[in-house]
Order: sequence, then structure tokens, then C-alpha cells
Amino acid sequence: MNEPIVIENLTKYYNSFLALDNLSLRIAGNENVGFLGPNGAGKSTTLKILCGLIRATSGKAYIKGFDITTQKEKALSQIGTIIETPEFYGFLTPKETLNYFGKLRGMDGNHLTERIDNVIKLVSLEQWLNVKIEKFSRGMKQRLALAQTLLHDPPILILDEPALGLDPRAVIEFRQIILEAGKDKVVFFASHQLSEVAQICKYVAIIDRGKLLEYDNIAALEQKYDSLENAYLQLTGVPSE
Amino acid sequence: MSELKRLAIVTGYEFLKHVRRKRLYVILLLVLISEAAVLVGFPALMNGFPDDAKLMATMLSVGPSMAVIGAIFFSGDAIAGEFESKSGFMLFTNPVKRTTLVLGKYIASCIAVTILIIFGYLVLCISLYAIYQTIPLETAQSFGLSLLYGATIVAFTFLFSSISKGAMGATVITLVVVMVISGIIESVLMLAGKPYWFLISTAGDSITAVYGGIELIMAGFMPLEEMHNFPFELESPDIGRSVLAMVIHLTIGLVTSLIITNRRQLS
Repeated sequence: MNEPIVIENLTKYYNSFLALDNLSLRIAGNENVGFLGPNGAGKSTTLKILCGLIRATSGKAYIKGFDITTQKEKALSQIGTIIETPEFYGFLTPKETLNYFGKLRGMDGNHLTERIDNVIKLVSLEQWLNVKIEKFSRGMKQRLALAQTLLHDPPILILDEPALGLDPRAVIEFRQIILEAGKDKVVFFASHQLSEVAQICKYVAIIDRGKLLEYDNIAALEQKYDSLENAYLQLTGVPSE
Repeated sequence: MSELKRLAIVTGYEFLKHVRRKRLYVILLLVLISEAAVLVGFPALMNGFPDDAKLMATMLSVGPSMAVIGAIFFSGDAIAGEFESKSGFMLFTNPVKRTTLVLGKYIASCIAVTILIIFGYLVLCISLYAIYQTIPLETAQSFGLSLLYGATIVAFTFLFSSISKGAMGATVITLVVVMVISGIIESVLMLAGKPYWFLISTAGDSITAVYGGIELIMAGFMPLEEMHNFPFELESPDIGRSVLAMVIHLTIGLVTSLIITNRRQLS
């Protein structure tokens, strides 16, 4: 079982609140998948379980065949993530932060220096490389988070609203970076922006109330429901006009 | 890469964080101020320095003690801060065991508090030598106990940091437990004539007890016969038992914080 992401019967309770209800999803190929659903549908919960930040009440999740519960470190070595609005240590600079996380992932020497230069250039933070992060705006932290996500060149990117809070130009730049990265990586991408998902992903998984409603090719959904927007509205219970 | 190498990396960057933060230097300043207050206040209020260098050493130990208590301020957010500020979303998604992350943070905090303690003892030794041209041998023992007490306080702070939602809460709870609750229990047990060596506040008293304990301090300020008029027996902590108490607190604090942090979810 070496599929990029396999989710089997995931159930998650927060006290008595059921956040995930027996959710199963298998991302088998090298495809980019948009993860859609209304607020509180269970998207972030699913991504946090995949990143080992929270534990499922029951069920299993695998990254490249590694069980996220019992082989967490091996599973995490395969992914780059942005979960919620990223926060960094304000006392460190981007260069120090990327050095820190890069070294934790086993990178060092010239390879690490080159990768830092590459990803910093990619997110246009060259001028801020040695400035303490405490001076950064939210958008700049988002950029740094994306740099950190790509630093170790992981085969899988798990992104939760990565463009949240960015200005329009940055959103376009982000989309280009993720699109480029998605050519040789699997991008599992939660967002409320349907148009953005449609531009980045070939497939979408739509969930609501912790249940998977649909997982299909966007083209197939557009054919079936007229548009991705209609598919989303009909499946999540909001009648289309 | 081995976990040991990862531990070294975490320790290095966590220590860099301490060096970059103002609170380390604020505590350093407090250590200096408290020792300066003794050096200026004692001769002004007592008509000169005491004859016994050990009594002065006991008084000047307020600096290293301040350093140890100050450790609470830069350790309180070590774990709670990752959850409160959500920086854990970045840190905990790296392929590193949380045990390694917590131990790295712990060692970094211990290094920081060690620097503060060394500074406190440097001031103490320089002052004693300037006044008495001698440094009591017990200072080495006191220094060792301070290091152990510092490591214990950091472990204790990590315990509260692992269970607290916020860094401020962890800091306040640790301060209250170490400075207030433990002291109250110590007083009650002392008045009741029950053993209290196992308390963290009592163990901390061993730092000065090596110079001669409560008897030395009281003898420096009042006639010996008045000491026997107290309604309870004044007793200095036994050094061996204090070391045991600190080791127990350190182990329980650190191991419990590791278990809790490993189980804690970042939702």
C-alpha cells in the first residue's frame, strides 16, 4: 500500500461533537485533490489527523503506506504542510527558521543552503531573509510557511487554506507556485475558493458533517452537476438557483 | 539521522531563542540587583558586614535563588506556547519525536538557568573575596545544589507548561505552587512537627543550608537563647534528603510533561 494518502473509516469526536463520521478516502494516483466542504465539515480535522497533530477516535490514515499513528515520523517525512494560519518563532529570522526545520529533516551543508535560497526566492522573501519574523505581516508568514513546506521537496503537500489572508497578487503567485509544485507532487488542498481549487486540482473530495459526499474528477462533476459550484451547493445541501 | 543529533539541533535552536529574548537579560539584571541590594543594604542596616563570611555567603545566595526562580519565566511557555501561539503546527509536523522536542527544550532551559546561576555565584564569590579575602568551601556545594534545584524547577515548570492552555497560566501556576503553596504546607508541617523534607521549597533551602543553616542566620541576628523561645523547632534541611527530594521532583516533573505532551492534541 504505497498510495500517497489513504484514509480508512476515520471517526473523530471532540467530546460529544462528531467531527468525522467514518470518513474514507483514497488518493491513489499522482493527482492534486481539492478538499471542499462548508465550515465545520471536518476538513481541518482530517488534515490535522493526516499531519499527526490530533488522533482519530477510530479508523486509520496512511501516508505513502506509513500509518500516521504508529509510524508517525516516517509518515511526516513524506509531507510538507500548512495548517491554519502559520505562526513562527518571532525571535528567529526566516533563514534560521528554515535552517532549523531543514536540519530536523536531515538536510545540511550546501544542499540545505541551496534549498533555502531556492524556496526563499520562490516566495519572494529574499529581502527579508535575515529579518526577525516578529516584524512580519500575516501574508509574509504565509509565504514563509509555503517556503518551509517546499524546503525538503516532499512528495506530498497537505495545505489547509494556504492563501488565506493574502492580497490578490500573492494569491496568484501562491497558485502558480502550488501549480508548479503539483506537477510532480500530490497536493491535498483544502479551500473555500472553488475557482482556485478548479485551477490547481484535477480531482475534488467534497465532505459535510464529517462524511464524504463525493470524490471525483472535476470534469466529471461539472458534467454531472453543470458546474463545480452547483456540485458543491447541491451536495452540501444548499439548493442551487 | 539519529534522535541524539536531532536532540542537539532542537537544543541549539531553543537556546538561541532564549539568548534572543529579553527575559533572560531581565532575570540577569534581577540577580545583579538582588545581590547588590544585599551588598549595600547589609552594611547600611547592620553597621557593617557580618564577621562570618558564611553568613554573608548565605545572604548573597539570594542572587542564585533569584536565578532559579527566574527560570520559571523563560520555561513557562516552552510547551504551552507551542499550543497557544500555534507555532506547534510548524514544529510538530516535522518528523521528530515529541519526546526529542521536549527534551531539547528542557536542556536549553537548563543551560540558560545554569548561565544565570553561574553569574550569581560569580558575583557572590567576587564579593566575598573582596570583603573577606576568602570564599567558603561550602560555596561549591551550594553551587551544585543550585544547579540541581534549577533543573528541578525547570522540570516542574515543564509539567505545568504541558498541562496549561497558555504560557502565562503555566508561569503563574508554577510560581504559586513553588513560592506560595509549598511554603504554606512547609509551615503547617513544621508547626505540626511532621516531616516536610520532601517539599520543593524545603529542598531549595538546602542551597543556603550548606553554610550552616538557620542556626547560622539566626545567630547572626539575635542572641542564641532567644532562638529557643520559638514555639516550634527551627530545623535546617538535611542536604541528602533535599537532593533526594529534588531528584524525585525533577523526575516526576519531566517524565509527566513528556507523557502529557506526547498525548496532547493540537486542534
